[in-house]
Amino acid sequence: MAEETLVLFKNIRNPKYNKSLAGYKKAGGYKTLNKVFGMKPDEVVQEVKESGIRGRGGAGFPTGLKWSFMAKETGKPSYLVANADESEPGTCKDRELMLKDPHLFLEGMMIGCYAVGCHHGYIYVRGEFFPAIKTLIDAVDELYADGLLGPDPMGSGYQLDLTVHSGAGAYICGEESALLDSLEGKRGQPRVKPPFPAVSGFNGCPTSVNNVETLACMPYILSDGGVDAFKSFGPQNNTGTHLVSLSGHVNNPGVYELRMDVNMKDIIYGIGGGIRNGKKLKGVIPGGSSSSVMTADEVDVLYNFDELAKINTMLGSAAMMVFDEDTDVVQLLHRITRFYAHESCGQCTPCREGTHWSRNIIRDFLNGNGSDEKLKRLDRVGGNMLGTTLCALGDAAALPIQSFVKKFPEDFRKYYAN
Amino acid sequence: MPVFHIDGEPVEFEPGEKILSAALRRGKIIPHYCYHPGMSIVATCRMCVVDVIDLGNGRPAPKLQTACSVDAAEGMKVDTMNQKVEEGRKLVNEFLLINHPLDCPICDQSGECTLQDYSFEYGSGKSEMDYSKRVYGWRDIGTFVSLERNRCIQCSRCDRFTREITGTNEFGMFNRGHELTVDTFTDRTMTNKFQGNMADICPVGAITEKEFRFKRRAWKLKKNRSICTGCSTGCNVTIEHDRNEVFRLKPHENQNVNKWWMCDEGRLTYRIMNERKSRINRPLGRVGENLEGISWEEAYGAIAERVREMAPLAQNVIALTDTHASNEELFLIQKLLKDGFSSDNIFCPLPNWEQIESDFFINTLITTDKTPNRAGALALKIKGDAKNAKLKEAVKSDLKVVFVLGNPFETEHDLQQKIKTAQLVVHIGAYHNSWSEIADVVLPGQHYSEKIATYTNKQHLVQATDIAVKALRRSRPEWQILSELAEALGQNYDFTNINQVFDSMSRETKAFSGLNFDQIQSNGIELAQTAKDSGKKLIKAAA
Repeated sequence: MAEETLVLFKNIRNPKYNKSLAGYKKAGGYKTLNKVFGMKPDEVVQEVKESGIRGRGGAGFPTGLKWSFMAKETGKPSYLVANADESEPGTCKDRELMLKDPHLFLEGMMIGCYAVGCHHGYIYVRGEFFPAIKTLIDAVDELYADGLLGPDPMGSGYQLDLTVHSGAGAYICGEESALLDSLEGKRGQPRVKPPFPAVSGFNGCPTSVNNVETLACMPYILSDGGVDAFKSFGPQNNTGTHLVSLSGHVNNPGVYELRMDVNMKDIIYGIGGGIRNGKKLKGVIPGGSSSSVMTADEVDVLYNFDELAKINTMLGSAAMMVFDEDTDVVQLLHRITRFYAHESCGQCTPCREGTHWSRNIIRDFLNGNGSDEKLKRLDRVGGNMLGTTLCALGDAAALPIQSFVKKFPEDFRKYYAN
Repeated sequence: MPVFHIDGEPVEFEPGEKILSAALRRGKIIPHYCYHPGMSIVATCRMCVVDVIDLGNGRPAPKLQTACSVDAAEGMKVDTMNQKVEEGRKLVNEFLLINHPLDCPICDQSGECTLQDYSFEYGSGKSEMDYSKRVYGWRDIGTFVSLERNRCIQCSRCDRFTREITGTNEFGMFNRGHELTVDTFTDRTMTNKFQGNMADICPVGAITEKEFRFKRRAWKLKKNRSICTGCSTGCNVTIEHDRNEVFRLKPHENQNVNKWWMCDEGRLTYRIMNERKSRINRPLGRVGENLEGISWEEAYGAIAERVREMAPLAQNVIALTDTHASNEELFLIQKLLKDGFSSDNIFCPLPNWEQIESDFFINTLITTDKTPNRAGALALKIKGDAKNAKLKEAVKSDLKVVFVLGNPFETEHDLQQKIKTAQLVVHIGAYHNSWSEIADVVLPGQHYSEKIATYTNKQHLVQATDIAVKALRRSRPEWQILSELAEALGQNYDFTNINQVFDSMSRETKAFSGLNFDQIQSNGIELAQTAKDSGKKLIKAAA
């Protein structure tokens, strides 16, 4: 039976917790920041490296490594940008953090800023998150009023400003370089890499873009004994707790904080309370809509980065979408593909044309115009987007198509068999 | 320079250079749409994929890489032809064609369209896309170009052009995903003076020149390298013509002069190359009030006879020329005056002019001096100033012989009236103008598209034109006219081709000393000695 391990949700799960600055301080907040101001930035980065934390936004890149890549002594300012543009379908963890415990995230953000030498951090929040934007702005105002932000937070002399910037609701602006373009006021389109943001990011300056949840882990990691405790929450290379957004046909959907060594089955049948109405499980999309789908037979696996990668899918943003035996998989895929066709920025060829084309083919199935040939074509068009695009959106659109066609071909055939 | 290998061939590269750029320099073709050497790299068309089989560290790249965005590295090995690469190009080409209207038969780009070329190479000939295509309407976006968005392949070159090259930002990408398209902002028409370049850089027929629409198929055009004589910048161009009719000018890359660009005004000078009505089509001589056709021999004979009769002194002879004349022509008329009449009374209008200074290079292409050879006239020390005081002095004396080359001082009627009273006025030029009306003998010259001639541009770079179209049957190049005229007047010049004139010029003048006509070739050569131009004024570009 899986149980929650409360690190990030320590305050949120406390019914008496007040999310204001006073409430957060009462719960022990901003003590770690004070400690961090006493350390050298390099030491902070080193501790984060040791903790082994991997980015929670989807790619799972080690955060400490990312920070250590930041170009130094360029004569330009460095920036830290929090990626709060949480728009991967199925994911709703960052919203919880921002809405219910903004100061935990902000403290992590401030630690991150100090670690990478950033004096002005930006929080790029998804445009549709109106309540979260308001909460964050209020929290930042509180910090300024308290002097925690500004010229001299906690007497450290480290000038620090934070700006909350709301996006305009484009999925692609969750891609870090598109996010930076959008933040600069341009069209949100992914840039050519290299140069990576760590060398040339926001306004051409070294920039680190980190997920909200990743930053929210920082106060814990950098607290006394935090690194070792953090490491103990999961197997090697998959350290710490993570927030799992469980949705779909389970009895208890929600955001849960789990260790990295929990079996997926336990999550679905334990903490998720099993499939609703006593139905049978058909499949799971394990890491947001862009990950390859898993069949019911495959779910007996540890829910972490490496284990899922072994079976050719991914943890992504840890958004588990469960669907039962009654689910029409073709419609599900149509929904996903329609999303990617709508959200493709359109700049590069395979994704611009491929997302729309594959969506048309799936619609053909729904309209009863499917055929074996079209199924093959769908697989081919999807495959042609894989690994051929500038950013990961092409892959994100291709992986579900290919995996659905591969794992549920019968469901497609049902549409044109008779 | 460090070296990497493309298809087994060693290719040199500069540190930081991309694979594609190094390959193109080497003459190796890698198909591409969005890459343009003059603009930023976006790597969005995905056509230039190559297989990097060795990154330089012994390991291959995990997947196909876009050659435009990957830095070349020492020891790198790149395959541009293998099956994996062909597959990669095929899939990109298939994607590009699914929404392309395939209206090549009515598209002006047809024949010079890279989409067409690469589809021929990598396309399947059969589309599996059985849905309706994306359709947009035709848009009138500017004075010089038109936009057919259905043909667009979203390479964003045009968008980057107005952002990075002209800085006018009036053009952009709209919508997203499948509906991504290009247009002008707020549906206005463009006003920048370099729109023709957008038609040049558009790899497909989405942006085409209005001037050229539906006039001639691109593959019928013959091309000649030349320079634009529309102003003193001297942009390198190719004159594109068919059946002795010029259809358009296209810029030719010259990093020292115009890079890849030219202005719309320069492009429009193709019209005058086809002008026939105002052309002087045979030598003319004055009989009473009228000009009547005569032969070349008669013309030279008549001039020689009159000159002999009058036996003019140095102050009785003047020559007027404009800076449309080439270096050789200016040199020869100067030489003729000096050798034949011991006169240096050669005058040329040299009004003040303005050079724009701008952060955007392309703006500096436009000058207010609309003649091609001001620097050449200055180098040859031909007199002329804004007020023409010396000229007025000269015409006060008893004028006997006046040579007029081209159309100088066209607005100065008093001067023309005064010169009309001279005993012999010889006009040499390609077009009828107020001078040919008052001349006693008119000798038909040629337009620069019809002859070889060198011009000195504002950077003191000597560049040459080439014969693109056939000249009028009874016209002759001005250098030949001047040299034949000199012979008729008793000089022993014996120039049989332009090289000899140029060699003579480089021997006899300081400015051109040491220059060799054969050196001019593609990029032009700088003058040995440059004259200071007091009429030049720098102005800041309007923001």
